[in-house]
Amino acid sequence: MKILAIDTSCDETAAAVTENTKIISNIIWSQASQHADFGGVMPSLAQRLHRERIDFVVNRALSTAHCSLSTDIDAIAVTIGPGLAIALEVGISKAKQLSQKYNRPIIPVNHIEGHLLSCFAQPRNYKLQIINYKFPMFGLVISGGNTQLIYIEKIGSYKVLAETVDDALGEALDKCARVLGLGYPGGAVLEKFARLGNAKKYVLPTPLVDDKIKNRFSYSGIKTAMFRLIEKEKPLTKEKICNLATSFQEVAFKHIENVLSYQLNHKQSLALRAQPLTINHFLLGGGVANNNLLRSKLRKLLKPYKITLHTPYSKKLCGDNAAMIGVCAYLKLKARNEKLRNYKNSDFLDRIPRMKF
Amino acid sequence: MQIVKENPNVVGLAVNVLKKGGLVVFPCETTYGIAADATNLKAVKKLNSYKKRPIGKPYSIAVSNIKMAEKYVSLNSTARNIYKEFLPGPITVVSYGKHEAPTTSRSGYLLPTLRRERNPSEAKNSSLQSASSRSRCFAKGDKLAKGIESETGTLGVRISSYLLVNQIVKILGFPITATSANASYMKRPYRVSDILDNISEKQKSLIDLIINAGELPHNEPSTVIDTTLDDPVILRQGKIKFKDKNEVFSGSEENTQNIAKELFQKYENYLGKRPIIFALIGEMGSGKTQFTKGLGKVLGIKEEIVSPTFNFVLEYKKLTHIDAWRLQKPEELNTLGFLKMIEDKNMVIAIEWADRVINEIKNQREHALVVWVKIKYGKRGNERLISWGVI
Repeated sequence: MKILAIDTSCDETAAAVTENTKIISNIIWSQASQHADFGGVMPSLAQRLHRERIDFVVNRALSTAHCSLSTDIDAIAVTIGPGLAIALEVGISKAKQLSQKYNRPIIPVNHIEGHLLSCFAQPRNYKLQIINYKFPMFGLVISGGNTQLIYIEKIGSYKVLAETVDDALGEALDKCARVLGLGYPGGAVLEKFARLGNAKKYVLPTPLVDDKIKNRFSYSGIKTAMFRLIEKEKPLTKEKICNLATSFQEVAFKHIENVLSYQLNHKQSLALRAQPLTINHFLLGGGVANNNLLRSKLRKLLKPYKITLHTPYSKKLCGDNAAMIGVCAYLKLKARNEKLRNYKNSDFLDRIPRMKF
Repeated sequence: MQIVKENPNVVGLAVNVLKKGGLVVFPCETTYGIAADATNLKAVKKLNSYKKRPIGKPYSIAVSNIKMAEKYVSLNSTARNIYKEFLPGPITVVSYGKHEAPTTSRSGYLLPTLRRERNPSEAKNSSLQSASSRSRCFAKGDKLAKGIESETGTLGVRISSYLLVNQIVKILGFPITATSANASYMKRPYRVSDILDNISEKQKSLIDLIINAGELPHNEPSTVIDTTLDDPVILRQGKIKFKDKNEVFSGSEENTQNIAKELFQKYENYLGKRPIIFALIGEMGSGKTQFTKGLGKVLGIKEEIVSPTFNFVLEYKKLTHIDAWRLQKPEELNTLGFLKMIEDKNMVIAIEWADRVINEIKNQREHALVVWVKIKYGKRGNERLISWGVI
């Protein structure tokens, strides 16, 4: 099944063509903008609102995949939330317009579910059939806008085990980078500096260690602690910046590890029957999934539990993109054994800015 | 529950109810308050379940004069001056409570025991034990119930200028709790119906007596001043001001949320006529989202209020939460639909990093009430100074 997928949940304008779980093309504006046929980059919110660039990105996704809506594409998948309402709207109306013009069904997709299932995406030349991991499993979506630990009973059936009560992890890392003078968005730069630092130099408080039931994340406390620490350490040298970056990352990830360990140790409460609940797979998605330190920390944590960590096969799949939306739409359809014709009526399709599982 | 109109005979009735551990709703110079005998643990627990308060949040007490106050708090010179100048009146003065320091003449034999146990690991035990031993040598009414003083041992004291309250306390002979009669984060009670319309049947059943004085003038709650720190700080800004600007002190995230509630309630009556914009200014981690969480609570929003940094805008039923941090140009605020948002006269809009969009907000002051809120880091840990102004 070939799907044209569109995601305009926040910053990126993205479109992709997927076939089952394979990615045929995956276009994100920031990359597309390098092509001369659309002039330079215009960094303003009006641009972020996607209106000007949606057609370009969709056409590019189709042409890169050598597909045409009238002959090759079976369905359109579009993100309906969570995200910025006015941004979501652009993708949704584009999807509706194409759906009507070419008489194609529309599959609405939750952006977080897209991130969650992005590990299932495969490169276009991949030989294997669909990856067949055994459910149930755990998933962690960590990005600029979301921090959610999710129990995946099966595709389409989720339970959020923990989510943030203030900042998302990616946002906290970006903000830390900013106060260290590393620019915005600086999460990735922060990681580079952190590699050179000494984690023992500064000690920041681990958030919510007193929580008996660990079912939430919070990053406001370490932001405060970090701000005070930076004020104290000014003027900053490169060495100090590296050490501060390391300490911040360490404590931010320690918090994730604490909550994850707790949830793994209490996983039995999720079982529907009295049988022991076995979990062998862990899906990691979202922009922060690119962080190598976090990956290795999670791998280490999961090993004694005999759980394999899965990450998206490319960096591009971690950040916001539309390919994951196409893959997610396909997996949902397949899991529910649904027919495409159920999705013919798109009149009621609407954005849901604070969409939940 | 009994409701009686305010009259001279009601004092005796109220005293009787209080003596039995009951809850009494009473009028005073600020809002309707709810009283429990502050020395009766059972009564205070009852009050806790009425107020739906988180455990550990202290209560202020009302006493009849400075002499009675000194039984429960140690007054330093700052406190003494404030008592002299402003009390009785709408001020709550926070001092250190006397729970841990009974006078030597009265309970001198306790001191050696206390001293011996003074090591941190046993501190908890020791205070428990000393409390129970003290209760033996204290007359009834000398010791406040647990949960009245704050966890750090401070205590807020009021002397009401409302005759009825003062008479009740005088005749009762010990302090009553002086807290507003609404449940936490609910409407300020100026009428009995403000209370009854906003509580559950179960809460209603906890009230034993309501003294109805009709609609009270819409005065602010009392100013709360903390005299225990090096410089006295204002915890709540009521009618009486101590500084030339509006500035209050917050010691915790919960405090910051509570201050947001207080501020909202100051300007609440503008809603419906104009939307209210809280323009929040403060460094990273200062508590702008915490402040908005407080607005969410007072507006009855059940969902978790989270940072809108990534999303720019998060919309709830009566609250729109905006973050200007990622905007590249101030004009982008309007692109986000700001002008449309302020068309809704019932909307509360919180804008984080408002200093990045000052003009865009100022331009709308005809159409919206703009409350500028500045949150500054205090000296230590979670301390913040929150100041505000309406321009």
